Amino acid sequence: MAAYIAGDKPAFRELFQRYTPLLQRAMARDLKSLEEANDLVQQTFLHLHRSRLDFEPGRKLKPWIFTIALNLKREYFRRNKRRRETSLEDDRVAEPFEGPRGQERSDAAREMARALELLPAEHREVIELHWFGGLSFPEVAEVVGSTVSAVKVRAHRGYVALRARLGDAAPDPESSHEGKPSVEGSK
Amino acid sequence: MDCPQIRDAFLNGVAPAEEQVKPHLAGCSQCRELFEQGAELGRNLAAQTRVVLPAAADDFFAEIEGKLARETGPRAWLRSRPSLLRLSFVLLPLLLVLGAGGLLWPRADLEQYPLPRVAALLCVYFLAILLAFGKELSEAPRRDAFRDYLGLLAFALGVPILAAFAPATEVSRQAAAGGALACFGYGALLTLPIAALLWAFDRDDRPSLRTACLSTAALGLSANLLLELHCGNGNAVHVLLGHASLGVAWLAAWAVSWRLSRG
Repeated sequence: MAAYIAGDKPAFRELFQRYTPLLQRAMARDLKSLEEANDLVQQTFLHLHRSRLDFEPGRKLKPWIFTIALNLKREYFRRNKRRRETSLEDDRVAEPFEGPRGQERSDAAREMARALELLPAEHREVIELHWFGGLSFPEVAEVVGSTVSAVKVRAHRGYVALRARLGDAAPDPESSHEGKPSVEGSK
Repeated sequence: MDCPQIRDAFLNGVAPAEEQVKPHLAGCSQCRELFEQGAELGRNLAAQTRVVLPAAADDFFAEIEGKLARETGPRAWLRSRPSLLRLSFVLLPLLLVLGAGGLLWPRADLEQYPLPRVAALLCVYFLAILLAFGKELSEAPRRDAFRDYLGLLAFALGVPILAAFAPATEVSRQAAAGGALACFGYGALLTLPIAALLWAFDRDDRPSLRTACLSTAALGLSANLLLELHCGNGNAVHVLLGHASLGVAWLAAWAVSWRLSRG
């Protein structure tokens, strides 16, 4: 980043190559389409360029980039009134972004994606940044503007809720043997 | 092992052995959840993380490079200044206008009010303005609490309304309601350059609701602060129409701009 601030143009390509996959993963999961995700990734890099003089030397770049990305993502949802919490009401939970060539994902993966989607935003955000963004909890705390202990509490609550949801969604072995609908199907 | 190492082990497809992680799990409740029921949650989260996204199109980087190449000109230069400098550039003209207005066209009845009251009023206004400008121009994490912005906006719209009914000198209270349009024009004209600076410094390409709330709050309060120092007319109708309406007018301007940007 220091090289980029100093005007080294190839340094930007390196930043791009290093952070684009992480940002795409963090964005695509929420935005449902790669085009929208890529648009926000582009805006993140554009915003990074505009705020490059705000970057303090010696500071970690990854939380800085994710702070920008998260601010933009929140603004995007606010602008488009498409917060995922609204999907709780009508149970129309869209599938997360599909893998290459539209391949089918396993039921477990679908359930996990669905369970993640139903988490409260503040819990989901922390888990997504830690897992999909590859940030440590102190870095996540920096990105969301909170304390490390608060972030860990959110992660813990999110994990507990995920396990409960996955437990609810797991097919009942006895009923499946008898050809009865699974728990998921009955909901 | 620590939390990221445990996550990375899951991502590598290997749930760490229990003996290996036992000391960490003893003090880490969130990682303990990952290992419950045969580490089901850890494996599932790792599987979610490993989902391969299609590589970005070849021209993706070229598109960004193209956009960066267009980042030239005065606005690009202004919006890329450090946040503290941008804040100073916005506050400086406000202070200059306040100083000039206070010295050149001071409010005639100002000395009739107790100094602590005047000082407290100026402080409240200025701190709220500083908070609104600071939040608007900062790159700090923006909490997802929209009520924070709405709270500041409600304060900015509400304080001038309360000021219309605040105790005033006899002469001030009995003044005629006329001249509201002149006060409105005075406040709008003097805050216009500050609005232009805010636009120039804004790093977002499209006006956002957050920007609308914070900018409206800052501009509305700035205009009312200017008028508090300039206009001695305490007639409630005059204050409501000529002073308090400025915040609403700035809000309407931002709403139109936001609506237009959405197409």
